[in-house]
Amino acid sequence: MSVPAVADSPSVAPLETPARRPGADLWRAVARNRKAVVGALLLLFFFVLAIFPGQIAPYAPTGEEFGRGLPPSSAHWFGTTAYGQDVLSQLIWGTRQSLAIAFAVGGLATLISVLIGVSAAYFGGFTDGFLSLVTDVILVIPIFPLIIVIAAYERNSGMVTLVVVLGLLGWSYGARQLRSQALSLRNRDFLEAARVRGERGLYVVFFEILPTMTSLIVASFLGAALYAVLFAAGLQFIGLGDPNSQSWGTMLYWAENNEALGAGMAYWAIMPGVCIALLGAAFALLNYAFDEISNPALRRRKLEQKGAESLHTAPVPEVAADPTKILEVRGLSVAYASDAGPVVAVDNVDLDLGRGEFLGIVGESGCGKSTLLYAIARLLGAPLAGEITGGQILFKGRDMVTLGERELRHIRWREYSVVMQSAMNALNPVLTVEAQMRDALEAHSKMSKREMHARAEEVLRLVSIDPVHLHSYPHQLSGGMRQRAMIAMALLFTPDLIIMDEPTSALDVVAQRSLMVQIKELQERLGFAVIFVTHDMSLVSHFSDRLLVMYAAQVAEYGDTRQLFERPLHPYTQGLLEAFPSIRGEKVRLTGIPGAPPDLLRPPSGCRFAPRCPHVHERCMIGPPLYEVDGDLVRCVLYEHEREAALAQ
Amino acid sequence: MRFIVRRLGFFLVTLWAAVTLNFLIPRLMPGNAVLAMMSRYKGHVNPQAMHALQIAFGIKAHESLLHAYFTYLGNIVRGDFGISLTFFPDTVSHQVLQALPWTLMLVGTTTILAFVLGTFIGLISAWRRGGSLDGLLPPIFVITSAFPYFWLALLAIWLFSIKLGWFPESGGYDVTTTVAWSWDFISDAIYHSILPAMTILITAIGGWILTMRNNTISVLAEDYVRMARAKGLSPWRIMWTYAGRNAILPNLVGFAMSLGFVVSGAILVEFVFNYPGVGWMFLQSVENQDYALMQALFLMITVAVLLAILVADGATAMLDPRTRDRS
Repeated sequence: MSVPAVADSPSVAPLETPARRPGADLWRAVARNRKAVVGALLLLFFFVLAIFPGQIAPYAPTGEEFGRGLPPSSAHWFGTTAYGQDVLSQLIWGTRQSLAIAFAVGGLATLISVLIGVSAAYFGGFTDGFLSLVTDVILVIPIFPLIIVIAAYERNSGMVTLVVVLGLLGWSYGARQLRSQALSLRNRDFLEAARVRGERGLYVVFFEILPTMTSLIVASFLGAALYAVLFAAGLQFIGLGDPNSQSWGTMLYWAENNEALGAGMAYWAIMPGVCIALLGAAFALLNYAFDEISNPALRRRKLEQKGAESLHTAPVPEVAADPTKILEVRGLSVAYASDAGPVVAVDNVDLDLGRGEFLGIVGESGCGKSTLLYAIARLLGAPLAGEITGGQILFKGRDMVTLGERELRHIRWREYSVVMQSAMNALNPVLTVEAQMRDALEAHSKMSKREMHARAEEVLRLVSIDPVHLHSYPHQLSGGMRQRAMIAMALLFTPDLIIMDEPTSALDVVAQRSLMVQIKELQERLGFAVIFVTHDMSLVSHFSDRLLVMYAAQVAEYGDTRQLFERPLHPYTQGLLEAFPSIRGEKVRLTGIPGAPPDLLRPPSGCRFAPRCPHVHERCMIGPPLYEVDGDLVRCVLYEHEREAALAQ
Repeated sequence: MRFIVRRLGFFLVTLWAAVTLNFLIPRLMPGNAVLAMMSRYKGHVNPQAMHALQIAFGIKAHESLLHAYFTYLGNIVRGDFGISLTFFPDTVSHQVLQALPWTLMLVGTTTILAFVLGTFIGLISAWRRGGSLDGLLPPIFVITSAFPYFWLALLAIWLFSIKLGWFPESGGYDVTTTVAWSWDFISDAIYHSILPAMTILITAIGGWILTMRNNTISVLAEDYVRMARAKGLSPWRIMWTYAGRNAILPNLVGFAMSLGFVVSGAILVEFVFNYPGVGWMFLQSVENQDYALMQALFLMITVAVLLAILVADGATAMLDPRTRDRS
């Protein structure tokens, strides 16, 4: 597959992004996060103080050489203590111990939590049960009082005791988190591969499991360090530390004993707390930032308006709505915000739907078919900030794009409803089936309780579910029943249009088939129109009136289902059909389509299918428009002559 | 039901672990703190006090460790924690019961208030994602949740008592009022509790806000929230029954896990304010080397935390049908 170079043509972006080290990604993410940067700078500041106290501090921390309880002055920024020591110098010298405790405890606790958490997950069974129990017990025993009990027996304990005790008691939270993450990794493919390769347990743990948990390990280190700073300071403050040590907690202890606040030495009592709070804040900010990095949903990306406008395709001409159609989509474009810029997931799509018509939308995953569907339903938004950047969606004559959320609410579910891919995820797990039907009925009608119950029973019977299941919670139903219950829910108001996103993909083949038959029967009986998205072309072949094939955010082919199956025009459609075995046809070799769909962030500049197309040639370097061939639409230069012929006529 | 039974089992195991730690710690410390202490006290305290110590540590001459352990367990089951050295000859149990209501009122109320308020603010903050509330609160509360409780307490006393004179500096009530169920006494107690309560509230609430906000953001990405939007439900209904009700479930688990932390902070707050509760008494007992009282208070605090966790478990079972069905 070589594309001849064409002068002045923009170079085709590489299809695969080069493999990057996960560490580099993490580092970049940290550097971009404002909270992480502030936290890191604070930490750096304290590090400098801890390493060079002698150079930075103006005086020795212990020398009792100045006036007692002096107010702040240029010589003593924060005044002096009741013993005639410089508060600022004590603060600077105290940094060392707080940081040392934080890092020693953080390190020790993290080490234990990794050992316990990962081995519990890795070994499973009894080991897991026992280790998890120990973890949970330590987690709920109030640690600080326990430390006080220990310190009470071991008075004026030195730093080593403090670190050991804090470390031995502070690992449980991290261990719990690491265990659950390691558990979710246990059955991943790459671990299976390592096991098949015959790699030994320890190797797998250290080189396969641990690197994937970097951000969680860092988070548990930061959490343990934060708790160590606070608890150590608390212990020293109540006089259970070494009263001669140079630390912020000890400063507070002496300040409190001398009633510094009331005696005009406020800085003596306030500043050590400020330092503890700042060091704590540094750890907390970093911890929070790592949380955000490992859970991308917490970060919020905004589609840059400037970028989005340039995506706006040619303006849609003002054409009156066709009264015979219930849905007309014109020039619809949708973009997502990403760290690397806007991603156009739906690019200038046109489609229409008559009353009671069944339209199938097919394509590989990631081609934008679900995005198109949710854009039509006006359900874009969280978790990915997808936005309609252009076009019209005329539903029964109204442009849905311009409707506000409040106006949309009136037509939702009454006039069009949605059936999602997995009912397990789409049904609220804490409400019964009836409660979830009732809230829709309450939102759009003034039915009495009895009427609502009757309607809920009625729609459940429509999909052949026993009405006793109205009182069931979603997790109590089988997979097939859940999907049917969701379809029943979509029928509550017998809408004109039901939008279905792969409603059968979670089911086995037999259940898929019977659900399809049921959907078709209901459709014929109740007369609603259907938009049905699937990646399985054979599934819709017997049920849809028309088919729309999507490839890389664009319409590749759009036409009558039967014609499209008998004479697929686009090389991509041909490839899709060859990927499925025909039941009745002759025995043919399944060829499928080599390669993978392009990255929508950088789609190929010409025809988007060109890199995978068996018929690729020079003219594919320029993106083709949709050509009309025998009433069907197809985006491929192979059919250019058809249009020329049509124009010539 | 089985869920509750299993949690009760966990409760008992944890309680047993705490009791055992209590028994073992003084014996495991270098130089055997118990024996050292006994010899130190010999001749200095009267036989009754000596007996109190023996009960506290389950120690009698020439007893094996195992036998001592069972004697100790037996005493605890009977609620016999011995006699307090600080409040001699009062029993430890009586002293603990006197301090308990103060702490329950102060720490109990503020903890529940912090949880309810924090959960609510976290939910609203996530729901109005990107709004001014959401832009402001998370960074602020990341920082306040890292504040040492006792330092904030010192600061509050300095500002509101010493500088402004709005609130009393310390204590749970004015010593000149008589302790009784009278309006004078109750209003005085409330007046004294405002500063410590605000201190605990401000430091504790940040954690709940942040976890609830993050949970809600994850839940808002769920299909069932999108489905609720598709159904055209009112935003109010979606926020409470779809987003909130699901997001609070992990927060209840989080409540159980961070309760120990809050209680630890509260102990120091009571200490700073000289508030006559369990935390203050606990630190007094440490200072006076009143080990019997100290051990009993440690157990008390543990039991209180465990009970709160059981309540959180019950709430989880009520709100989440999946928990009820899981065996």
